[in-house]
Amino acid sequence: MNWLTKQFRKELWSPYAAGVLLGVIGVLAVWMSDSLLGASGAFENLAGMFGKALAPALFDNLYFNFIMPPGITWGVVLLLGVFFGGMFGAWSSNTLKLRFNDDAQWRTIFGAQNWKRWLAAFAGAIILEYGAGIAGGCTSGLAISGGMLLAPAAFIFIGAMFASGILTALLVYKKRF
Amino acid sequence: MTNYLIALLLGVFFGLSLNKAGLTRYNKIVNVFRFTDLAVLKFMMTALVVAMSGLYALRGMGWITFPNIPATYIAGNLIGGLIFGVGMALTGF
Repeated sequence: MNWLTKQFRKELWSPYAAGVLLGVIGVLAVWMSDSLLGASGAFENLAGMFGKALAPALFDNLYFNFIMPPGITWGVVLLLGVFFGGMFGAWSSNTLKLRFNDDAQWRTIFGAQNWKRWLAAFAGAIILEYGAGIAGGCTSGLAISGGMLLAPAAFIFIGAMFASGILTALLVYKKRF
Repeated sequence: MTNYLIALLLGVFFGLSLNKAGLTRYNKIVNVFRFTDLAVLKFMMTALVVAMSGLYALRGMGWITFPNIPATYIAGNLIGGLIFGVGMALTGF
């Protein structure tokens, strides 16, 4: 038991162990709720909800009416759980703290200024969410959840994601790649 | 209501697995694209294999039915994936 607690409280698990956990959760989600895990969709449900309240005409389109219906969906609640789960994980390894820009690799490559990190995160996240919207899911919603049902879309998405990710990293890091 | 509680509970464990795999860190995400740390890939593929075998075994026993499978529209999936990869390598989340 002590050994297990010690393993659990490690800051990083073996990626294989964490992967098994996620795989089991993926199965349970289908089994218990007939739903797929996803993250990006929840943001769109929320955006649709606020958008419909603030600018109904702008949000009265096919996408927000039928493809991504607004509201507190299963995925939104899941995302709330993810937030607390991540906090719980960090708390269990005593690494829970408010971080702004303390990634050593980022700081050595781009400098210590917070605004650069925030700008990159903000702009990148917009691009990421658009991509997820077009493809029909993100890493969890399409690549993992679709892949586990052997949806061809998931494998096309994984290939495309890595291809452009590698290219972007190459451009951003240049000689430091 | 029960369904929301299940979502919350599964979400907690989902977040836990992401945190413990290190996917909440910039360096883990970006380094998979630089081939210097393949943790993201190991994590993703393990999850895929476990979930795949679990789901197909359960369906084979007739215990579950599959939900709507994400639609395949090659151009959309491909272009979306290409855009997504750019964002992912930039933010590192």
